[in-house]
Amino acid sequence: MEKQKTTNKRHLRNDIILVAVLLLFAIACGIYLFFFRATGDAVKVTVNGKPYATYSLSENREVNIYTGNNKQLNRLIVKDGKAFIETATCPDKICAEHRAIFRDGESIVCLPNRVVVTVIKSDKTDAPDAVT
Amino acid sequence: MKQNFKYKVIAVLMLFCVSLCSCKPEQQKNKYTAHSFDYFDTVATITGYETSQAEFDKISNEIFSQLAEYHKLYTIYHRFDGMENLCTINEVKDGAHRTVKVDRRIIDMLLYAKEMYTKTDGMLNIAMGSVLSLWHDYRTIGKDNPENASLPPMAQLLEAAKHTDINKVLIDEENLTVTLTDPLMKLDVGAIAKGYATEQIALYLEEKGVSGYLLNIGGNVRAIGSKPDGSEWLVGIENANKDDYLAYLEIADKSVVTSGSYQRYYTVDGKRYHHIIHPDTQMPATEFTSVSILCKDSGLGDALSTAIFCMPLEKGKTLIESMNEVEAMWLSVDGKITVSSGWNKYIKK
Repeated sequence: MEKQKTTNKRHLRNDIILVAVLLLFAIACGIYLFFFRATGDAVKVTVNGKPYATYSLSENREVNIYTGNNKQLNRLIVKDGKAFIETATCPDKICAEHRAIFRDGESIVCLPNRVVVTVIKSDKTDAPDAVT
Repeated sequence: MKQNFKYKVIAVLMLFCVSLCSCKPEQQKNKYTAHSFDYFDTVATITGYETSQAEFDKISNEIFSQLAEYHKLYTIYHRFDGMENLCTINEVKDGAHRTVKVDRRIIDMLLYAKEMYTKTDGMLNIAMGSVLSLWHDYRTIGKDNPENASLPPMAQLLEAAKHTDINKVLIDEENLTVTLTDPLMKLDVGAIAKGYATEQIALYLEEKGVSGYLLNIGGNVRAIGSKPDGSEWLVGIENANKDDYLAYLEIADKSVVTSGSYQRYYTVDGKRYHHIIHPDTQMPATEFTSVSILCKDSGLGDALSTAIFCMPLEKGKTLIESMNEVEAMWLSVDGKITVSSGWNKYIKK
């Protein structure tokens, strides 16, 4: 009887350890995933179809993208997890009127200056594969 | 013994947890994207799933080289040494157009455009070049020099509109020749050529057994197959630069095309004038902000999106409902959305 009680106690203690270990493990996983994903958000810039640069969306920044022998400029702003073109030297300024992008796969295109800004690896859902 | 078993169970459970957390599902194919600005005065984006960059490059380069050929044939703005194209068909020598022997791909596209003229009751008219080139010139000047932007004079537009008779486009299918019999007329295939070329390339890829690709040629979206996991492509419809999309559509082996007043325009005295010119008024069509067409054939979608943009809502609806597996969405200038009867089937759940 006495022995049975000790075994039960030991079982209980083991169970608590088990639950604690699993919990810790789950939390560790969660933290890892959270940070891994948060740093994954970025915008990729291509000029005339060629890679130009990649910038994280989690860090505010302002980038001047020069093209056409530095004669043309698109000014890219990354702010609060979103990216947009503030000003551009192109004639139509359609890129500068485009709303800020943040969903995976969204992009802003400046036709005259041949600049494409695309969100990559964002975990924001509802990202279309193409936009028309 | 019992204890042992318990730990075994725990070990298996933990392994299961680890595998859940750390492994992404086995993916043999990655998503690749390529852009080009060289064709049809727009951006061409190719998205595809392949096992390697090299495999993707092989297909995307083939697509781009075909686009290059169609662009050279269908452009009205450039001529190329040693070849006839839409630009040389438009040329006038000694007061008349020549009879021009052209590539089969020009004949086929022009025949299709004539068919669309009939189907759309003249709202898609490739013989409107004289009117559209006036708008194009004034828009180009106005964009380069916004303070001096002006509208083409109505008298000039009306004069140009006298030379837009599609029956004066003579096509000889056997000898592969094209003749414009009115010296003052010009072709402008901007409302159809891009979509027609997109469709021809898509058909070619389908015949080769290619799947898992999405073409977006300046807003002419055409899916070749579905994604490798069998899921459909998600296509967003732009809401004239507002923060969210008008609609999310799920498609495979289909095309979505939008004509919108926000895509190409210029500003005169604070008022915007867009590029979709109504064949009856010679002025930008005023009823809608955008019209989107969903159907299999991207050439049909391209032509219909422009034609429906210029039709009253009820007439456009009747036309769409009379066609098999063609759906449409209208966004009127006051923000009202109308959809055809089968449109909602494609809306993302």
